[in-house]
Amino acid sequence: MNRRDLELLSAYLDGELKPADSARLEARLNADPELASVLNDLRAARTLLRKLPSRKAPRNFTLTRKMVGQNPPLPRAYPAFRLATVLATLLFFFSFGVNFVGTQLASPANFGMGGGGAESFAVEEAAPQAAAPAEEPPLSLAPAQPTEDALRVMETPAAKSGGETPAPAQDQPPAVVEPLPEPQRQAPLVPSAWQIGLAGVAAVSALLMGAMRQLAARRWK
Amino acid sequence: MNEQALIHDAQQGSLDAFNTLVLHYQDSVFNAALRILGDEDQAADAAQDAFISAFKNIASFRGGSFKAWLMRTVTNACYDELRRKKRRPTTALEPDTDDGEEMDSPKWLADPALTPDQQMEADEVEHAIQHCLDSLPLEFKTVVVMADIQGMDYAEVASAIRVPLGTIKSRLARARMRLRECLQGFAELLPVNYRLEEGINAR
Repeated sequence: MNRRDLELLSAYLDGELKPADSARLEARLNADPELASVLNDLRAARTLLRKLPSRKAPRNFTLTRKMVGQNPPLPRAYPAFRLATVLATLLFFFSFGVNFVGTQLASPANFGMGGGGAESFAVEEAAPQAAAPAEEPPLSLAPAQPTEDALRVMETPAAKSGGETPAPAQDQPPAVVEPLPEPQRQAPLVPSAWQIGLAGVAAVSALLMGAMRQLAARRWK
Repeated sequence: MNEQALIHDAQQGSLDAFNTLVLHYQDSVFNAALRILGDEDQAADAAQDAFISAFKNIASFRGGSFKAWLMRTVTNACYDELRRKKRRPTTALEPDTDDGEEMDSPKWLADPALTPDQQMEADEVEHAIQHCLDSLPLEFKTVVVMADIQGMDYAEVASAIRVPLGTIKSRLARARMRLRECLQGFAELLPVNYRLEEGINAR
């Protein structure tokens, strides 16, 4: 029995042959008992398979929303509240960052020897020397030779650490040895009221989102 | 049951509509899985996975035979289950006797409508057929389960397992021949009306 004949017999059994092919095969079946025997065997096997009892499903396979990861439908306003929460939270933390950086820029003590910090340091020290009013903004007083002043100021701690105050030279300005004026406290760039407001918006939006989810889940059930 | 309307609603996200389809097809899906896997627990797991997957992917159903589409899903779930089984082998479904041999006819699988003799006869036939099915290569077994046990036509089987019609014809013919040879080994176990010798029914 070749494979082609086997396939023909199997398809004939299932009525899947074209009428012309069926007629040709039937003629061969009448003339060839071996072919007819194989057809009977295939038919018997198929009959046995069809007699297999159909089992009832041991349980229902119906799906729950949890199984398919479905979430309750949320109100249309929900995304707006989510956006508000995210934005308010980001701005809240950003405001702290801005205030921190602003304080650092305004405070000379936190800048050491490096870069432009030294210049602003010198500028602030030079301000009382020039007997300028304290209210004047430091940057507007930028002197023509800031490096000279800065060097002078830097010498002062070293002199103090020596235990003796050397006699001031004739040309040395007395302002250098005078006690430094109390540094001005600069107001934060982002006022506290704004920060409180942002925190409030974030908290209220988050609470409303939670309430919406709870309500939607309850309605869905 | 208006199948098209239910499918449409399920595609819109209606779980209730899909569950109506589940109730209609769950026995077919479970039986297909059972015959491919040969294990009731694994078949139940595969059937459940198949329905979950079917719901998640129902948008991809573009018409035609829904049963064939479901059968493709359950076939894939069975292949996944077989891969899992290969990684983590489990014990056989049949409980052991006191002698340590598998029970052929576990009482908990019995059909209460049959007499004990009929039950034994049916169990022996079923066991023999399942044994022969299990001896087939997976691709042959899948085609036989779809065509001969689920009663699907060649086009539906081809659509379900995505192989050409000619391949279905070839696999089915060879699978039937192998089954016939295997079942001859159980000839003495089978009751007279199940034996293969004379060809049981005319076409």
